[in-house]
Amino acid sequence: MTAVQENTLVTDSPVDLAEQAAPQSESAAAAARAMIVFDGVEKVYDPDVVALETASFVIEKGEFVFLVGPSGSGKSTLIRLLLKEIEPTSGRIFVGGRDLGRLRRSKVPQLRRNIGCVFQDFKLLPNRNAGENVAYALKVQGEGRNAIRRKVPEVLGLVGLTHKTDSYPDELSGGEQQRVSIARAFVNHPPLLVCDEPTGNLDPDTSVGIMQLLYRINRSGTTVLMATHDREMVDKMRRRVIALEDGRIARDERRGGYTTE
Amino acid sequence: MLSEAVRSISANLSTTVAATMTVLIGMFLLGLVIAFATYARSWSDDVKSGLVVKVFHDRDATPKQVDAVRVVLERDSLVNQNRIEFVSAKEGLERMQKDRPDLFSAKLPYNPLGPAWTVYPKRAEDVEQIANRLGAKTERYPAGVHNVTYGKEKARRILKVANIINAIFGIAVLVLVSAAAILIANTIRLSIFARRREIEVMKLVGATNWFVRGPFMLEGLLCGLTGSVLAVILLFVSKEVALPSILPRLASDPGVGALGFWLIALILMGVGLVLGAAGSGLTLRRFLRV
Repeated sequence: MTAVQENTLVTDSPVDLAEQAAPQSESAAAAARAMIVFDGVEKVYDPDVVALETASFVIEKGEFVFLVGPSGSGKSTLIRLLLKEIEPTSGRIFVGGRDLGRLRRSKVPQLRRNIGCVFQDFKLLPNRNAGENVAYALKVQGEGRNAIRRKVPEVLGLVGLTHKTDSYPDELSGGEQQRVSIARAFVNHPPLLVCDEPTGNLDPDTSVGIMQLLYRINRSGTTVLMATHDREMVDKMRRRVIALEDGRIARDERRGGYTTE
Repeated sequence: MLSEAVRSISANLSTTVAATMTVLIGMFLLGLVIAFATYARSWSDDVKSGLVVKVFHDRDATPKQVDAVRVVLERDSLVNQNRIEFVSAKEGLERMQKDRPDLFSAKLPYNPLGPAWTVYPKRAEDVEQIANRLGAKTERYPAGVHNVTYGKEKARRILKVANIINAIFGIAVLVLVSAAAILIANTIRLSIFARRREIEVMKLVGATNWFVRGPFMLEGLLCGLTGSVLAVILLFVSKEVALPSILPRLASDPGVGALGFWLIALILMGVGLVLGAAGSGLTLRRFLRV
């Protein structure tokens, strides 16, 4: 499993990466090694709402990073930038050594297949049962029927929902739905898992279960970036914390809490 | 992809049915208009083909004078050269005795008619010009000719009506096609709008645009096909049931007829297919920019 996660984010020839690295030797080389690099990234929405102000940080492979900050501080903007849902106004973003600014639109699906996404509202397809929801992420990549039959039960077992394979989203509890969504995000074993307030809609006990699951996934080598409001969780986990305030990076601590003590 | 399309059709049955019905109605109306329009056109063509120029010679016109007229007619580029009919004085009298027995029944002491020409134009609109070249306007006819007629008033009226009919049906076809297109596009947009969340999720897990679009377009294609096939069936039924009761009242010249039914059916199915697939494909574009 670990071997799969070690691969580069967008399957690409090393030649291409070397070409990209050529102009700026040092920082680009670091960018190629790291999982996520934000290099002076700014995002201004029309007309002049600054959502993110010259943000720069590096997240290495295998890290578990909390992204905290009040609503409207730019957390979601940052995640949408990572998925290339929106383009930065200025600055450069590297994901898995790939310059997103140079990534052609036709390659965006490839990028997203290598970033698992978990959202507060789960974003499950309502007319498909748990198994089919997970299978969809595989079908999208043209995965064969046999591979799907093998991988889906495996990942549903990982999130502890083997017995709910045939249940539809509206028959599942919030926590179970979130587990399905994590299973879907992880079924490809992406090197990066991005979570936008995955416990936002869940009660504290359920949240702990979800966090344990994410922790397990992280321990297996997957980089996890998690935007959250959950103060207790952040303080308990003592992981790296990047705090956003009004679109600026207010704090970046190795083993931080939700707020500075 | 087919399984995805079938699945999405069954999952969104109501919108699919709505889209299919829209196509059905649009194509049915379009079929009717095409049938009527081609029928009306063919009818007006038929009437127009009745427009002729008649050249009447004097009773004592010499063969040389008659021949001179023939030369003029044969050189006229507006005249349909295959349809210049010479009616000798004797034939003329026989025809008149048949057509107007009240006037020509008695044994006449002599034939009051001279030889005549019946001239068909290439285009019905040109009858007036052909007649004028033979002096109809100035009433200064060639030697040996005493009258040239082309049913002046009647010709003008027929041509006017024919033009109006053509214009009306042209506009009707245009309006209907665009109305059907807008209606279908709207219905499809509605069904896609209802599923934009689904599309968003598909894009987030890394589906390519074609992977998302494919099933939708296939669905649109199936809707278009089903709708137009139903429309063709409906048209066929109304043709078999309704037409026989109307037909006897319409001029039933053998030369008059609508465009062949199967040709119309083919056109409708083609239009339905294109509308369905292109409609959903184009509408999707907006939602795919995620």
